[in-house]
Amino acid sequence: MSHCLTHRPRTGMLLVAPAFLFVLMLVLVPLGFAVYISLTDWPLIGSVKYIGLQNYTTIGNDTTFWHATMYTLIYTAIVTGPIFVLGYALAVLVRSNRRGAVFFRTAVFLPYVIGLSTLSFVTLLEVQPNTGIANVVLKKLHITDGTTAWLVNTVPATAVVCTLVIWFAAGLTMMLLMAGMQGIPSEVYESADLDGASWWDKELRITIPMLRRTIALSLILSVIGSFLAFNQFYILTQGGPGTSTTSVVMWIYECAFVELHLGAATTLSLVLVVVVGLVSALQFFLLRDDT
Amino acid sequence: MTTLTSRPRTEHVRPQEAHPAARRSPGGAVFYWTGGVLATLVFLVPLLWAVFRSFEPASRITATPSWSDVTHLSLGNYEDLFTGQIHLWRYVANSLMVSGGTAILVAVLSTFAGYGFAKFRFRGRGLVFALILLTLMVPFQAVLTPLFLELNIVHLTDSRIGLILFYATFNLPFGVFVMRNTFAAVPADLEDSAFIDGCGPMRCLFHVLRPLAVPGIATTVLYAFLASWTEFIGALTFLTKTDLFTLPVALLNIQTGTYGTLNYGYLIAGSVVAMVPCVILFVGLQRYYIRGLASGAVKG
Amino acid sequence: MRRVLAAAGAAVLTLTACTGAGTLASPAIRGVGFGTDAKGTVELWVRAATQAASAPIVAAFNKTHKDVQVHLTAIPDTQYVTKLATAIRGRAVPDVVDIDDINSTLLAYHEALTDITPLVNSLPYKKELSPAHLNLATYHGRNYAVPYAADISVLYYNKTLFRRAHIAKPPATLTNVLEDARAITKLGGGVKGFSFGGDSPGIMGFTAQPSVWASKSYLFTGDLGDQRAHVAGNPALRRMLTIYHQLWAENLSSPSSRTETGATWGKDFLSGTVGMWPGNEGALIGQGITPQFAKQVAAVPLPGALHGSCVFAGGDNIAIPRGSHNASGAWEYIKFALQRSQQATLPASGYTPIRADVATPAFDSKYPRTAVALHALPHGYAPTTLAYNTAINQVSGPFFQLFTSAVFDGDITGALESAQGSFERALSQAES
Repeated sequence: MSHCLTHRPRTGMLLVAPAFLFVLMLVLVPLGFAVYISLTDWPLIGSVKYIGLQNYTTIGNDTTFWHATMYTLIYTAIVTGPIFVLGYALAVLVRSNRRGAVFFRTAVFLPYVIGLSTLSFVTLLEVQPNTGIANVVLKKLHITDGTTAWLVNTVPATAVVCTLVIWFAAGLTMMLLMAGMQGIPSEVYESADLDGASWWDKELRITIPMLRRTIALSLILSVIGSFLAFNQFYILTQGGPGTSTTSVVMWIYECAFVELHLGAATTLSLVLVVVVGLVSALQFFLLRDDT
Repeated sequence: MTTLTSRPRTEHVRPQEAHPAARRSPGGAVFYWTGGVLATLVFLVPLLWAVFRSFEPASRITATPSWSDVTHLSLGNYEDLFTGQIHLWRYVANSLMVSGGTAILVAVLSTFAGYGFAKFRFRGRGLVFALILLTLMVPFQAVLTPLFLELNIVHLTDSRIGLILFYATFNLPFGVFVMRNTFAAVPADLEDSAFIDGCGPMRCLFHVLRPLAVPGIATTVLYAFLASWTEFIGALTFLTKTDLFTLPVALLNIQTGTYGTLNYGYLIAGSVVAMVPCVILFVGLQRYYIRGLASGAVKG
Repeated sequence: MRRVLAAAGAAVLTLTACTGAGTLASPAIRGVGFGTDAKGTVELWVRAATQAASAPIVAAFNKTHKDVQVHLTAIPDTQYVTKLATAIRGRAVPDVVDIDDINSTLLAYHEALTDITPLVNSLPYKKELSPAHLNLATYHGRNYAVPYAADISVLYYNKTLFRRAHIAKPPATLTNVLEDARAITKLGGGVKGFSFGGDSPGIMGFTAQPSVWASKSYLFTGDLGDQRAHVAGNPALRRMLTIYHQLWAENLSSPSSRTETGATWGKDFLSGTVGMWPGNEGALIGQGITPQFAKQVAAVPLPGALHGSCVFAGGDNIAIPRGSHNASGAWEYIKFALQRSQQATLPASGYTPIRADVATPAFDSKYPRTAVALHALPHGYAPTTLAYNTAINQVSGPFFQLFTSAVFDGDITGALESAQGSFERALSQAES
């Protein structure tokens, strides 16, 4: 009742306006401009020609784009599961506030704090054949002879990138899920205990359903992050060998800044925005709270 | 036993002190400690190794490791970075300015917007919220050139302020999402009593709701700071003058020569330097961060 | 809300209107006092790679020119063309630009540079300038840039190892390289005959292509805008790939050749365990060559695959972009930097002078390795093509794919055949 007097719609709009203005000017307007660019042949230097929808109709011919999309999808499929499972397991581990929990949380989250670019540089050094610590350790354990050039072939390079990303992102998933778990009222568990439920039962029937929204958020962030992956590929493999480890965004970057075909590159970006939007909407829908 | 402070909390949920599923049992303790130590080793040891490496001169880093490396540790890399030609301090300062500015701007904008979305109803609310969230899905490479041209017209390229505006905008979705959920979890009674006492919406926000909002704000600050601290493609595009470079860009430029001769010693030492503020900030904000996620990102 | 969206739409339209034209007006390059009485500041952009070479020249210029000062900005190499291009779109270009010489053609073709033919012709030492560099900057008979600092690829060899393997002369062809490599590797003890940067397209383009050019056999033929690729039926190219394949397959090369991306290029040569290494002076200096080790090192131009020798005329040209505000100051700086005394400072940072007349006996004895590069300069070559960056320098490009599958996988014929098509595609992409 008092809301009508004090929660004026106008005040709401004013509160929201600054953030919206930023997004409008720095995201939506450039996006609008990007739509215009996608309808042109825009060389990096030189005059711009309007070509209508030609960039869109020739996407089919851009085999590298489809290859990059496929690779990015495979990459996303590989890392999403382990990131979630590992994050969940760690969250179960550290959600109590026992002694040491805070320390463990910090240790696991630290790679995320440091950032993927920095970690990629360190990885670049440590997977070098013979001299990188990864190979030295493998040699000492007699698993390989220490000369594996990890980043030079597609499958090992992808393995390195996936391992790095899973290690990096598990921390964030852990934090998100753990916070959610801490928000579940203990009464729910207590009544389950009275019914004699096992640990696994409680996890499956209580925790996971109640965590739906958090799980959704965590998965959506993870999937979007994987779809838009760029830094780690740029630093570690440069998309090579050939274009076999080129992610979609890396290909767009090459198109724009190496081949200097800004119109085509922008077209691909817009297609990507739409795809990511659809996938996220789908995830929201599938994981929505039915309550 | 409790790690919770005396700040007011949302009433309808009691966060867990010790999760029932992890109640004391000898088997449980073994799992806990083994798992914990294992996790710490897996996640922390590579980072400690990088720190160790940063004390090795470049010639040793790229040679086959041997035990004699331990005796050749030195501060050489750090000395060169800070007092040599590279002047890392300048870039660290730039990064601190840019990331700090971004974090503050995002926090302010998100708090206002989150409050507005959570507690007020107005026409187009859903649409505006969706548009703000849309930003999450835009790879900024898509808008890099248009944005550059746009900022160029207002002379904000090649400036730290322009970079702050850019980073702040792209971190807004997360911040707005978190703050909206934070405020949505605030029970209506709390506000009602404030209004009855004569508080307008702004005073209500600043005095009554602020303590509840602090965890969410801390989350937003941390996330925005970390995101802008490690970003390099945008910085590389928008900045031209070397003096203005942020730390990641400076590290990328440690490569010399057209064919990429790289001083790994400087690179690793620079990376360690880059790690330090992040770690300090995270450890300092840790308790806010967790509780911010609990009240912000999860419910509502 | 509607008003807000309308305003946004207007903003978009304004943006599109503001950024149409791709070319700017050329500055005047004649007039009294042009290039001698310049005033004010001159904005100079250099590639980050040449910063060490340019900084002392800029400092010397600023000390001796009170009325005009040069302000140096170093741009990371990978961003250089993009930044210049966006500066042109934003109508805020620097006054003088130091560009990678293989980009000269691209920039001239897209009308980004000022026609400075009369200025170049007025230089008394014009015939001493590196013909390859000047050629790259010449389009339809007009000059759009002058050479600035050269980065030349030569074959370095370890005299001590050659003595130990009883090799009397440095190699004259790639076949000699193969034979010498076998002899040196036979010495054992971890010594290898050869080392190359096999995981870097830029390096392989820089050091392996000259062996093909020695036979006057070029990968890109024809006029700009209508070029063809000469890959599948190129005997010199095939021979080069065959030799490199043997150098790798017979274990005559250091193992790091497979993974060398440039980060540690030249390191194994400097450790004294490699007999021959195609490289450049910049890498040696970057890896910290000591005066003692330098006594063991000598250089020759890169041996040809079939016969002859050649070097890659790499490095930088310098140009006045269209839209420059202080063209007079720009030219004054350019003339200063082209003086013999200034060019002679280049070897200290790994660059080679671009004037043949810097090669005096005094210079040759002070910088023996650079002298080899300098003497080879008049016969150096660099390809004029719009597709260099995309075709040669990219990991995903056709040249690197050709090289890696021929040399490391051994499928030389197959690689050459498929490369012909991918080179043609790259050309048509770049010329569209």
